[in-house]
Amino acid sequence: MKNAERFTAMSTRVKGLRVSAFVLLALSAPLAAASPPQNDSGSPVQPLSPRPVQATGLSAVAQLGRKMFFDPSLSGSGKLSCASCHDPANAYAPANNLAVQLGGLDLQKSGVRAVPSLRYHEHTPNFTIGPNSSIPDFDPPPQDAAARPTDVKTASVAKADRNNAARAAAEAKVPQGGLDWDGRADTIQDQARGPLLDPNEMANKSQSEVIEHLRKSAYADDFRQLFGANIFDQPGLIIDEALFALVRFQTEDPSFHPYDSKYDAYLAGKAELNAAETRGLKLFEDPKKGNCSSCHIDKASRDGVFQPAFTDYQFESLGIPRNRDIAANQDPHYYDLGLCGPYRKDYAKSTSYCGLFKTPTLRNVATRKVFFHNGVFHSLDDVMHFYVEREIHAEKWYPKLANGDIDIYDDLPVKYKRNVDTVDAPFDRQKGDKPALNDAEIADIIVFLKTLNDGYKPDEASSAAQ
Amino acid sequence: MRQDLLKTVSACFASIVFAGASISSAFAGAANPDSLTTKYPIKHLVIIFGENESFDHYFGTYPVATNPAGEPSFTAAPGTPVPNNYQTNPNLLTANPNNQSANGAGATNPFRIDRAQAHTGSQNHSYGPEEEAFDNGKMDLFPKYTGAAGVYGTGTFNNTGLVMGYFDGNTVTALWNYAQNFAMSDTSFGTNFGPSSVGAVNVISGQTNGAEGFAAGSNVVNSGFSSLVADGVGGYTMYGDSDPHGDVCSSTTAATTTMTGKNIGDLLNAAGITWGWFQGGFDLTKTNSNGTTGCARSTTSATVGAYENDYVQHHQPFQYYASTRNERHLRPSSVAAIGSTDVANHQYDINDFNAALQAGNLPSVSFLKAPAIGDAHPGNSDPLDEQAFVVNEINLLQQSPEWQYTAVIIAYDDSDGWYDHVNNVLNPSTSTQDAYLGTQKCGPLGSTGYTNNVPPSNALVGVNGQPVNGRCGYGPRLPFLVISPYAQKNYIDHTVISQASVVRFIEDNWLNGQRILGSFDAVSGPIDNMFNFNQTPTRTLILDPNMGTVVSQTN
Repeated sequence: MKNAERFTAMSTRVKGLRVSAFVLLALSAPLAAASPPQNDSGSPVQPLSPRPVQATGLSAVAQLGRKMFFDPSLSGSGKLSCASCHDPANAYAPANNLAVQLGGLDLQKSGVRAVPSLRYHEHTPNFTIGPNSSIPDFDPPPQDAAARPTDVKTASVAKADRNNAARAAAEAKVPQGGLDWDGRADTIQDQARGPLLDPNEMANKSQSEVIEHLRKSAYADDFRQLFGANIFDQPGLIIDEALFALVRFQTEDPSFHPYDSKYDAYLAGKAELNAAETRGLKLFEDPKKGNCSSCHIDKASRDGVFQPAFTDYQFESLGIPRNRDIAANQDPHYYDLGLCGPYRKDYAKSTSYCGLFKTPTLRNVATRKVFFHNGVFHSLDDVMHFYVEREIHAEKWYPKLANGDIDIYDDLPVKYKRNVDTVDAPFDRQKGDKPALNDAEIADIIVFLKTLNDGYKPDEASSAAQ
Repeated sequence: MRQDLLKTVSACFASIVFAGASISSAFAGAANPDSLTTKYPIKHLVIIFGENESFDHYFGTYPVATNPAGEPSFTAAPGTPVPNNYQTNPNLLTANPNNQSANGAGATNPFRIDRAQAHTGSQNHSYGPEEEAFDNGKMDLFPKYTGAAGVYGTGTFNNTGLVMGYFDGNTVTALWNYAQNFAMSDTSFGTNFGPSSVGAVNVISGQTNGAEGFAAGSNVVNSGFSSLVADGVGGYTMYGDSDPHGDVCSSTTAATTTMTGKNIGDLLNAAGITWGWFQGGFDLTKTNSNGTTGCARSTTSATVGAYENDYVQHHQPFQYYASTRNERHLRPSSVAAIGSTDVANHQYDINDFNAALQAGNLPSVSFLKAPAIGDAHPGNSDPLDEQAFVVNEINLLQQSPEWQYTAVIIAYDDSDGWYDHVNNVLNPSTSTQDAYLGTQKCGPLGSTGYTNNVPPSNALVGVNGQPVNGRCGYGPRLPFLVISPYAQKNYIDHTVISQASVVRFIEDNWLNGQRILGSFDAVSGPIDNMFNFNQTPTRTLILDPNMGTVVSQTN
């Protein structure tokens, strides 16, 4: 029941980004195998920018976006494209196992957060505190009010409280939506601006530099045809048109939302889950066991229009261990507080939001090489054990302090540790308790998670399953 | 005439059949539309009342479309007249007065919005900011005052210059094709400045004076709310949006409003003429495929990609009036009773219109408001979903036997704040909300001698017969099309009209030219010039609801 209720609430507030009809219907989008590009001398170079995926039926604007997506000349280094980190051959996520990716002018700088996949963002609602209102017809147009809750432990109350009224009140304070780990970009279009200008990523010094790259690009005439002959004389407009084109590629091209996993085939009645997958799904949904689907929604909307996103787009604090592989973390006073900063500034003083990050989709999670916002884990097995043993065996995950105590939630300042969710299963245990899931159950859940990988081929799978 | 006679006979037969169905009270005083004497050979008027588009936003480059590969293309017929737009004023595209530093980062010339970008954010369409954007007739501060950096949809620009964008015939394809084959005005204005509720009340009464406000959850009149402004003679004028008081779907946390004047429904009732307002989401008993019901029914579309609430209370103008409201959304007693007075009180769901049409029970006057997903309002709708709604309804009408006596008007409640280059302010106001000629001053260009809060002596009288404040107008220029077998073909009319011209046409056709006290109906021009009542009424134009392109046509 809880899942159903939560889903209903989620599905009615789904807000924001459109998707064309053929995208909703598209069930298969074979990716062309990326072959290494050649440099001027004809020898293979490091595949920083994989070849464009083959796509047909894209609008003129989307085709322009596709050219931009794979164009390394849009970066300050001339060597990074969107596709360098968002690799189409790896579900538009990095193909390597680095916690954070390298970029910048010298390709040696690194940011502080793991690169998310670009798949399945098309229904991400705009960032709000509490549910979105759906009709924006008020005067003046509604503004996002920066709520400043101070003493409400929103993250944990929201999911644990079985009293609907209390939960509804708590839900009203739960941050949700937006792109990036901290939801700071309202739309995919806004998100696309970030990497272009980030000194650790594509490292353009200014929007003017981006415009110069566009002016010199092979597709400059596409801009003139689609957006007017004077487009390069309108700096504000051309950036927005360029970002729009990038988004239009992501919106129209089915490879960004193929919905062709085994689980999708299972929901469509075209595949059956095997015994382990079935057990895994049950544990995934069981509120006393994995309780995963309370945040990672696994059901379609009732009318079937919206397939399961495997996220509720809400924010949570899970007390992820500090990742000492990240350069910034060498400073003991530095903390990545997600919604509270350092990238976002607007909720820096909302103490109950410090340490909260957005719940990602679990589609293609088994293809990821690193997990959570700081990429501290490298296997799903570690992730699952962390979930069920964080409280029971804290010593496995966190270092010892000088006095011998365990420095639990060591990636958060002491005052924000109270924001960590300790009330929802599987976190609702204490030292000495049994974990919510045993090793066999964890293995089953991981088997189930693999059914969320895109590109399921019914024929191959049935023979492989014999 | 012979066809009229035949229809009268068959309609009488229908009355006889239904007389035994114990719903005879439903027909108290209501006349069969086809047997009524009318000034013009129009027996059915259908007003499709859309949301939030300025004329230049939809027809800025008419009749020239860009025609990129892969989009529905549009090529104008030889001899197509060109309206007052960017084609006739090409400097507006290259040296627009809004491309100035006062508009900050939003300074830009008008630019094309692609079909792929149909889902945009909504602009600011408040009464005061619209007047400020008009800037004493210079029409040069739209990005500054009505521009909104869009955050809804992917087709938005994070820049107030979005307000300068326009669509062409590759996006608003159906409306351009209707303009090619029927009549359009390029001099139609919002009766006043202001948003949805103002436009909706104007299209059914031609006047917004005589408003009463209620605090949230209260039943005591207390008019000091943000959507109402003092009219200068002790009353209030509606200048902003608020929900109708008493509607079960209205907000319980915001102020609500009633209107005290007369509307066209009152006049039609007194004359026993059938009519109805048909709005998406009004039927609270229905459940949509996504499981939503009651006031929360919602619908999604491929373009918007999100669920939008079907019913928008402050878009339903008859709900503001005690005489015409249906507070609990009671259902009509039967399909045959639609249009006549019963418990539904002439307020229906859009599905009821289609049912009545298919049952041969089309009322004399019908106002249609799409479910929000199809109402054209940026943010919750878009031109492509609007097109699907409009084309489906007009196709249905053209395939009915009533078509030869029918006229469809496509009109809009407000401009959304989108840029348009024409102003035509005639009625003055000196309310606290006015700003066109200066602080608290709005009126024809060059007007002087106004005193703040004192209605100018030449302001139109309100519901008590005295000049009133809060109705500065005309406001922004809006699209207005007449689609009828009696419409002129490929014709652009320049008679200055407003939303109140719809009221005027109903009064002229059915009510011997009766007028409403305080209304702009008498001063707004007639729409007669868009018709040729001497032609044979056989023209049809069936369009593809998704592409807006021509499927078939007869002349």
